[in-house]
Amino acid sequence: MDLQDQFTSVIKENKGLIFKVAAMYTNSPDDRNDLQQEIVYQLWKSFGSFKQDSKLSTWMYRVALNTAISYLRQTKRRVSTIPLELDADRLAEDYDKTEEEQIQQMYAQIQMLHLLDRGIILLFLEGKKYEEIASIIGITPSNVGTRISRIKEKLRTQLVKQP
Amino acid sequence: MELEEMQQAWEKLSQRVEKQDVLTAQLVEKSTRQSYHSTLNRIKSAELMGTLVCYAGAGYISVHLPKIEGLGMQVLAALTLGLLLVLPILSLASVRAIKGVNISVATYVETIQTFARQKIRFQRLQKINVFLALLLLFVSLPVVAAIQGKDLGQIPHLWTLIVPVVAVVFMGFAYWVLKAYNKTLAEMESLLSDIDK
Repeated sequence: MDLQDQFTSVIKENKGLIFKVAAMYTNSPDDRNDLQQEIVYQLWKSFGSFKQDSKLSTWMYRVALNTAISYLRQTKRRVSTIPLELDADRLAEDYDKTEEEQIQQMYAQIQMLHLLDRGIILLFLEGKKYEEIASIIGITPSNVGTRISRIKEKLRTQLVKQP
Repeated sequence: MELEEMQQAWEKLSQRVEKQDVLTAQLVEKSTRQSYHSTLNRIKSAELMGTLVCYAGAGYISVHLPKIEGLGMQVLAALTLGLLLVLPILSLASVRAIKGVNISVATYVETIQTFARQKIRFQRLQKINVFLALLLLFVSLPVVAAIQGKDLGQIPHLWTLIVPVVAVVFMGFAYWVLKAYNKTLAEMESLLSDIDK
């Protein structure tokens, strides 16, 4: 299997990661698609030099999140909730209004958090352990725990403020 | 929405994303092509246009410089020329991409810190830009009039109406811009201090 085939297989296995990071840092479907493209490009650029010192997913999250931050320079810093439309045929098949509203509400709340907390909560929701979150973010595992508790509190406060 | 409900919504989103395949193949195909150009570090067309306009203005004044008579007017012309050359440099310098960040190696915190510091630098330079642009507006007016052989005194209502109205509109714009800049500055400084906690 040549490098490009290996890369294609890695991206296919981790397509959810790329989509979810892109959706969290952009404010329009066009920007989201651009950011997804940019993340895949940045991953491809350094794929050959990835030395497996860290887990593949750790490296991918790191590249994806760093690319998202760098991409913010190109667009407005604030992001707002966007429709998460996926494949049109699939949508028609599976569309669930309540589910869609829940996802929108979740994104709206996450996007009210600042950049650091947003990265942490994304990784937490992805089911990453504190050690891996710490390694991607660049803080200690105990700090991850402290920050997640603070984020929970912030989310509760947001909940109270909502009408 | 509590964190536990958020986890359920995230799970639903993950399931939906896993079902799409077409887009992924397109993304890989496009990114691995030799011809793909990264959008990071790209200079926006508005910034490029602004630079071209300033340099075109500087070219125009340079060509007509010999026509300008009188020491006072020549000083104003030199000042205008200087502003037209410096403004785009300041602007382009302030929108430079995040330098020194190795996307595949740097941690998220390191990238955020660089991003926030760049943003703070950008906001400060933009503040200077706003005031230099106002200065340019007043300095260039008599210079352009001199090049075109017009007497400013003969333009009706210039000092009583046109200049004050333009100045008020510009100051209003500058106030609005600076207010937005200050808000972003405060947010970035707060983000940096939160990281250090």
